Amino acid sequence: MYAEQREPEFGWTDEHRGLRETVRRVLADRAPVARARELAEAGERHDPALWSELAEQVGLQGLALPERYGGFGGTLLDLAIVVEEMGRVLYGGPFLPTVGLAAPVLLAADGGEDGPDGGPAAEYLPRIADGSLTAALAVEAWGPAGEPVVTATADAAGRLTGTAPVVLDGGDADLLVVAARGPDGPAPYLVETGAAGLTRTPLETLDLTRRAARITLDGTPARALGDPGRGAVVLARARAVSSVLVSAEQVGGMTAATDLTAEYARTRRQFGRLIGSFQGVKHRLADMAVRQEMAHSAAYWAAWQEPGTPEFAQAAAIARSYCGDAFLQTGLDAIQLHGGIGFTWEHDAHLYLRRARADRALLGSPQLARAELVPALVPTVPARSTTEGIPA
Amino acid sequence: MTVTEPGTEPVTERVTLAAGASDAEIIAAVEAWLRAHLPEDWQAAVARGDLAAVEAIREDPERGPAWFDLLGDSGLATPTWPVEHGGLGLPADRGAVVTETLARYRAERHNRDFVGLVLAGHTILEWGSPEQKAERLPALRRGREFWCQLFSEPGAGSDLAGLSTRAVQQADGTWLVNGQKVWNSYAHLADFGLLMARTDPSAPKHRGITYFLLDMRTPGVEPRPLKQMTGNAEFNETFLTDVVVPDSARIGPVNQGWSVAITTLMQERNGLSGRPAVGPGEADELVARAVGNGSWEDPVLRDRLLEAYVEEKVLQMTTVRSFVASGDAAPTAEGSIRKLAHSVLAEKLGVLGTDLEADGAVAWDPAEGSEAADRFLAMKTYSIAGGTSEIQRNIIAERVLGLPKDPDPERHLPFNERGRG
Repeated sequence: MYAEQREPEFGWTDEHRGLRETVRRVLADRAPVARARELAEAGERHDPALWSELAEQVGLQGLALPERYGGFGGTLLDLAIVVEEMGRVLYGGPFLPTVGLAAPVLLAADGGEDGPDGGPAAEYLPRIADGSLTAALAVEAWGPAGEPVVTATADAAGRLTGTAPVVLDGGDADLLVVAARGPDGPAPYLVETGAAGLTRTPLETLDLTRRAARITLDGTPARALGDPGRGAVVLARARAVSSVLVSAEQVGGMTAATDLTAEYARTRRQFGRLIGSFQGVKHRLADMAVRQEMAHSAAYWAAWQEPGTPEFAQAAAIARSYCGDAFLQTGLDAIQLHGGIGFTWEHDAHLYLRRARADRALLGSPQLARAELVPALVPTVPARSTTEGIPA
Repeated sequence: MTVTEPGTEPVTERVTLAAGASDAEIIAAVEAWLRAHLPEDWQAAVARGDLAAVEAIREDPERGPAWFDLLGDSGLATPTWPVEHGGLGLPADRGAVVTETLARYRAERHNRDFVGLVLAGHTILEWGSPEQKAERLPALRRGREFWCQLFSEPGAGSDLAGLSTRAVQQADGTWLVNGQKVWNSYAHLADFGLLMARTDPSAPKHRGITYFLLDMRTPGVEPRPLKQMTGNAEFNETFLTDVVVPDSARIGPVNQGWSVAITTLMQERNGLSGRPAVGPGEADELVARAVGNGSWEDPVLRDRLLEAYVEEKVLQMTTVRSFVASGDAAPTAEGSIRKLAHSVLAEKLGVLGTDLEADGAVAWDPAEGSEAADRFLAMKTYSIAGGTSEIQRNIIAERVLGLPKDPDPERHLPFNERGRG
């Protein structure tokens, strides 16, 4: 689905470094954390002018989409670099929902090079690439083997009924990808935003930089995406890709939170000393650095594996488990080491903690990610037994 | 190509491997060499999984050393050493593939050779005189000399530079050494020791230390085994009483022993944090154990196991990354990050291992022993040996995050003027 990655793990090329620098520069200029806060406080979803610029001048939306769909044919690794940089500045626009969550389903459902022309991928991906379409992924919940738990069901005419309680960018996206139960099990469907029986109820969000809505479908016309018999496989593959990208975003967030905290410890004085000279502070920061290094390794190891392989699926689940827990702890520690100022609305520390908690729930908890490892790790144990006692 | 060094007649040709060889090429070359050279009964024992039979050959007083001579001369025991010193000149990540392939045939060097092969080897490669290299490296390569470390002292643990063992140069140029060392693994069996001693007490503590390669059979060197909390006695305290050390045993310049020691310590941190590969580890063993004894059915225990599994895999990924990033084993503060992560993981695994046992591994049949209890008792090794986790956190905070150095009021004082607490 994405271009093949040719260098061995962690063999960064000049192209990778150049991409990172470019994205970092554009975001520093146009979307620093202060801008994310400004948009959040104004109740704005995102900066549409920046969105167009990212598509038209930098080409980020189409970076890793196939050339035949108007993209640049980049790799998942390229995309992970972009998302990590966005994570650093808490960019909250439609990029992750559209490119990181919805597009992977369209790509996974697409027949690839040999697939039929004129399918949904050919119709929608070029519009994602040129920045004219945003999309969201609606899932009721994820089960412990990585399968979507759906209450939305499709009738014989392909009309959907059910509810997805929290859909990132679901109230604003131009297109909804819905995981529903079709005649052959879980499968992805497309729902146009003007469709009959579709209700989008805006929600208040923990992560102030992002918007979410409850999606209710009541006999809503929908279009099956790809071969209905492969629906579960398509959704699992796409979810592994999304797991890598969410992990990359978490790495970006935790790197920024660690940097912010280290900078504070290097400059704040108490008792006549820089607080970074106290071991109570140093040691907590050292643990933050360890988590950041480890999370970086986990996210990029996964990004380097070949999508669709068993190694990729395992690495993606490992990354989601590790990065989800790591970012949350770093978010807590960042506030702790800032003391009172870290507990104020004006300080950015809470924005990272909010993002850490929200990202952790995006594709199922770290605990669920670990449960996903079981079938490959212990093939003799039925996957069913892993569902017991694990909260969603 | 073979190298002839004084006192060594090579018993085999050196293996040739290109620095850019792929994993598959290295594995194929090493396996072909092993099939041609590894004794047939050894190969057969490996094939049928009879590790006890392999161990018997490895520990056989005739056959063991004969094998390690052969391995040493082939260059496979020291793949990352320079070619001129009998190595294969491979980068660290390539060398690791060699070592892992050897390990699959149980043909790799003994773990107890770590101080010699890795610590002494790299320290001599970096700091040794041509004579020291010629005299010591061939024996290290072949595993013919056994080494220990004589660094820590009763009064110098984490503050290693505060050591007070004295070495005083005599009129004839030899050094007279007096003092006491501690935590010296295998010192009672060792041929040589890596020794740090104070040679200028009027200089600040880091600047008055000199490093020696001590012949452990010198009169006045007296190791006494110390029983560890595990019940084993690998440790020693070593008393040094009027030990006369020739100046030719000094490695590095006089009073610059601390710089030499940094080489050794960095290797130690690196060595303790694992091999650069992502593959089955200790957590996989515990998962297999849990599935086997039914404890896997406990969902809480299962998630703890999976959490440890994830951490171990991520640590392996981090180790691979640091090898790729540095292009070599170049040990930096990165090694401290991995050592710290490994220590935390080792404790988790040690406790988990006992939790998997129905009886918590609190009692066992004397004939069978308890691996879980052994590992539980050994797990604290990792967060203390080679610099405690607290010292590693200081290093990470100072060198990676740029935080202020820990206050050390004695750092710049002449050693002999500092207060004795």
